[in-house]
Amino acid sequence: MSKVFFREALARAISEEMEREPRLFLLGQDIAGHGGSYAETRGLFERFGPARVRNTPVAEAMTVGFAAGAAAAGLRAMAFITYLDFLMLGLDALVNYAAKLRFKSAGQLTAPIVVKATAGAKGQGPTHAQSIESWLMNVPGLTVLAPSNPGDAYGLLKTALRAPGPVVFIDHKKLFPQGGVVPEREELIPIGSAAVRRAGRHLTLVAHSYMSVLALEAAKLLAAQGIEAEVIDLRSLWPIDWEALTGSVRHTGHLLTVEEGQVVCGVGAEIAFGLRERVPELRVARLGARRAPVAASPVLEAYTIPDAQAIVGAAHELLRRAANGQSTNG
Amino acid sequence: MIKKLLIPIELGEAIEVRLLLWCKSEGQRLSAGDALLEFETDKALVLVSASQPAVLRHCFFREGEWMKPGDTAAWLSDEPDEPLPAEGDATAEELLVGFEVT
Repeated sequence: MSKVFFREALARAISEEMEREPRLFLLGQDIAGHGGSYAETRGLFERFGPARVRNTPVAEAMTVGFAAGAAAAGLRAMAFITYLDFLMLGLDALVNYAAKLRFKSAGQLTAPIVVKATAGAKGQGPTHAQSIESWLMNVPGLTVLAPSNPGDAYGLLKTALRAPGPVVFIDHKKLFPQGGVVPEREELIPIGSAAVRRAGRHLTLVAHSYMSVLALEAAKLLAAQGIEAEVIDLRSLWPIDWEALTGSVRHTGHLLTVEEGQVVCGVGAEIAFGLRERVPELRVARLGARRAPVAASPVLEAYTIPDAQAIVGAAHELLRRAANGQSTNG
Repeated sequence: MIKKLLIPIELGEAIEVRLLLWCKSEGQRLSAGDALLEFETDKALVLVSASQPAVLRHCFFREGEWMKPGDTAAWLSDEPDEPLPAEGDATAEELLVGFEVT
C-alpha cells in the first residue's frame, strides 16, 4: 500500500483505464493543460493528447450531452463537472438520454459514461456546495457512487470506467487535502458494496463521502462514553448494499443515517425505509443539513451542516428515545 | 542557538503535506536565501528557503514522507557543533523562512 492524495488516486485510476481502453476519452473544464480543478487530471493531457483529453467551455449541458452521445456511438467518456451543483445543467442529457438509453433501445444501445462531480460545503456558498446526490438515486438506470477516501476512489472509479451504463461519481471538497492509502497493484471495488469502517453493537451509523469521516470521529467520541457505534460507509448510493446494512442493523437494532444533504427525500430516508421493511423492529433516526441552503458565511455553514458532535448528539437522542419507548424521528 | 524548522500552519486548508526534497544535507551550512526543502500540498508545490544563516543539523522526515502543518521538520543551529536538544523540545526558536508557492 502507498499513501497518496485523493487527486492522485483519481489520476491513477483514469490513467490505467485510458491505457487499457483506447476508446475512453475525457472532457471537462480546465482538464487539459491546467490539469483539472483539483489537479486530478494533471499529466493526462501530456500523456494521452488532445483527442482524448478535451477542454470544454463553461457549458455543462453540452459536456454531458456530448459525452452521452459519443458513448452511445461507441466511445467511452468521462465528463468532469466542477461542482455537483452544475450538474443541474446537464441533467436532461444524463437523465433523459443516458440513463434511459438502454431501456428505450431494448438493450441495443448503452451510454457508458462516468460523470465526475464534486459536492460538499467548504466555503463556496449556496450554489457551489450542495450535496444533491439523493436526486440522482431517484433515476432508474443511473449508478451513483460516493467514495470517502483515496483507496475507494481509485477502486470504484476503475470499476465505473468499465461499467456498461452511466455512472455519477461524486467526491467531496474536504476529501482532497488529506492523503490515504491505495493498493500497489491494480484493484477494483465492485459497485454496490458498502464497507464496515468500525464494528459496534449499540447502533449503526450509515454515511457516505465526507460524512463517513465524521461518522468515524463521532464513533470514537461515543466509544469514550461507552457507546459502541458500528460505522458503515455506503460507497455506492445506488445500487445499495442492503445485505451489509441489514446484517449490521439486525445486531445493533438502532440506525442513525448521516448525510450532508437534506433529509427530506434524502439518502437516509431511503436507507431507513428500506431497512425498516427488512427489520421492522428497527429504531431509526436521520441526521442531515438544516432546511436551508448552504450558507456563504462560515459560521452559518457550520451551523447548517452536521459535524461529529451533532452525530454524537443524534445518536444519544435515538438511544434515549428508544430506551424510553418513545417514537424516533426516522 | 538551536532553531527549529516548522511546517507552516498557514497553508490554506492543507491537512497533510508530502515532503518532496531536502535541498541541503545534514551538516551543511545555509546562507539567507538558500532553498531548504520542497513539499507538496493537495494543490500546490511549496519551496521553503532560509531567511537567516544556519546549519542544518537533523531532519525529522525523509523525502516521500507525510507531515502535518505545525510539525517540526528539522533542527538547525548557528554553529555546526552546538549540542542538540532532546527530540520534542519546544523551547527552540523558530527558523525564519520564506516560501515560494507554485
